Amino acid sequence: MTQLILFNVFNGLIVGAFYALMALGLSLILNLSGVINFAHGGFLALGAYIAYTLMPYTGFWGALLVAPVLTAALGLVVERLLIRPLYGRDPLYSLLLTFGLAYVLEDVARAIWGAQSVPYPIPASLTTPLSTEYFFLTGYRLFMVALVAAAVAGLFFILNRTRLGMRIRAGTLDLETVSVLGVNVRILRNLNFGLGIYLAGLAGVLAAGMLGLQPTIGTSLIMPSFVAIIVGGLGSLPGTLLGGLLIGVASGITTVFFPSATEAVMYVMMGLVLLIRPRGLLGEEGRIQ
Amino acid sequence: MSEHDLLGKKVSRRQLIQGAAAGATLAATGPFIISARGEEPVKIGLDNPLTGTYAAVGKNEMIGCELAVEQINAKGGILGRQVQLLSEDSTSGDAGTCVQKARKLIDRDGVKFLLGNVNSALSLAMADVAYEKGVLHVVTGGHTDAVTGKTCHYNVFRICNTTQMEANAVAPSLIKQGGKKWYYITPDYAFGHTLQSGLEAACTRLGGQKIGGDLTPLGTTDFSSYLIKAQAAKPDVIVFLVQGDDMVNALKQAVQFGLDKRFHLAGAQQELEPLEGLPPEARIGTWVFEWYWNQPGVPGVKEFVDAIKKKTGRVPTARTWFGFASGWTCALAANGAKSLETVKMAKFLQDFKLPPEVACMPDAPYFRKGQNQLIPNLFVGHAQAKGSAPDDLFKVTTVVKGAEAAGTLEETGCKMTWPA
Repeated sequence: MTQLILFNVFNGLIVGAFYALMALGLSLILNLSGVINFAHGGFLALGAYIAYTLMPYTGFWGALLVAPVLTAALGLVVERLLIRPLYGRDPLYSLLLTFGLAYVLEDVARAIWGAQSVPYPIPASLTTPLSTEYFFLTGYRLFMVALVAAAVAGLFFILNRTRLGMRIRAGTLDLETVSVLGVNVRILRNLNFGLGIYLAGLAGVLAAGMLGLQPTIGTSLIMPSFVAIIVGGLGSLPGTLLGGLLIGVASGITTVFFPSATEAVMYVMMGLVLLIRPRGLLGEEGRIQ
Repeated sequence: MSEHDLLGKKVSRRQLIQGAAAGATLAATGPFIISARGEEPVKIGLDNPLTGTYAAVGKNEMIGCELAVEQINAKGGILGRQVQLLSEDSTSGDAGTCVQKARKLIDRDGVKFLLGNVNSALSLAMADVAYEKGVLHVVTGGHTDAVTGKTCHYNVFRICNTTQMEANAVAPSLIKQGGKKWYYITPDYAFGHTLQSGLEAACTRLGGQKIGGDLTPLGTTDFSSYLIKAQAAKPDVIVFLVQGDDMVNALKQAVQFGLDKRFHLAGAQQELEPLEGLPPEARIGTWVFEWYWNQPGVPGVKEFVDAIKKKTGRVPTARTWFGFASGWTCALAANGAKSLETVKMAKFLQDFKLPPEVACMPDAPYFRKGQNQLIPNLFVGHAQAKGSAPDDLFKVTTVVKGAEAAGTLEETGCKMTWPA
């Protein structure tokens, strides 16, 4: 029994790292632009499908490099054409827009690649379990965790050490002042959106190797990511990371005792956090009013 | 007030042009309406998922249905009238939308036949509407026992098997190939519940036992924690009853964990759609198919396979055949009864045998009298990474006769009443 729980904690960390990757992208966009991007799951699916299409030419590793970049480029276009006109308005507008966009992206994927799952090959070097005892630690999962860790490190590097990152962080705190100081806020928001979508695309390329690839792949991953943001605390990227890991572990442990509540437990956690500490575990005071 | 002044708000010429363009686009892309030649066409309404989890299988059922309607029209239609197929998206799991679409098809479009659904729960909901309205309903692919069991109706027929039939057909092979201790991974809704209880009963009869199981929510993507539990129980067979995309996710992960080298990974109902979505190394295990395209020498099969290949470029799946047989059932019932009255058609279909070009399998499947359930053959075998053709992903080892798997009429719990 102890072993079973321990296994599930490990496994939960792996799954949680993945939720965190999604949630970080969402969080970036939400913090700077105040847009709740419901279409994030759609971009995730597109990233995976682009990788699937590229794979025969570039192989897995090439697709891993290129697909998220292409997805991010698409994100830049979407931001410029659809999201930008709505910045000045009530957040409800962008919420409705991205909500609709999520369906559009899902149907685009269905129209191009079909409604049925497609086989998505991963390199043979990553498919074997590392030991029969710890069979759930496959090469692919460890690689995924390592890559998530690298992506998170890269993101924090960009945010803390580069000019763009500093402007994003400053903009998150006070966009008006940043604008007055001569920073082009339009370009800043555009690049920030692209960065968030890059993370979604990367998550998609990774998810498709673990799950099956079908047009709805993003739908089931988007809600846990929102929960991760709320549990971790709005406005705090380390909080988002923590939130993702926590809900992954919580649902892993729940499976041992009460499997049908695996998904419900995330929402219970979210409810508890909202009741007891509304700003989230590491969130700043006053972000949720 | 000028005519450009709508709702008190000034409308610019540009906006007006934009509106007109949008309207024109809508009109151009709207539903294609076949104009009747002489007489009004007979309408068949298909209310089936085109979006969500069951989009792929729903679409295949629709393609089969379309082929049936083309063939029916080429052979003179229903009672000399042309047939028109109306298709609605029922969604994959929203009973409210599904029922609303069914009512729309019956009340507004005046369909004489209602077809669908992939989802068991939606099939039951549609059957209630069809019963209330007295329309002939053919359930294409919803498997839960109750449709032709406890809640059976005189006007509701079903093409696909009951979950109990699938369980009875596959259980002996599962025990022979895998062993007697089973662990279940079951989707948490009507279909999964009845399929698991059917298998438990069949397994116990054969001397096997259940050593554990988990109910997984529909649409689960990460099965790793369930698999950790399953392997800890040390079963002979891990029985996967999840379907569609859930099946793809579960099997893919189990094989990545190397569980296929330690246990027999298998289940009951399997379909070509998930097998096509799996990487070759995960196409494994003992299963039952309800229909399979590779049946050399069986009359009608080659013609059907070729016709679908011509339409879509791919081989038909069991779902395509469900849709095909459902569409044909409508025409056969009406032409046989020489009437479009539901009661007369339903009476005609009692113990009616499907002709070979529709049956596409040996031993003439028939609608069992007093239950309205089609009793076809079931194809037990194992999944294979590679076969005689790229789409040949299943090897049939045993053809089980439906009558042997169906149990007695009393066991189904169906007590049918006919309108006076």
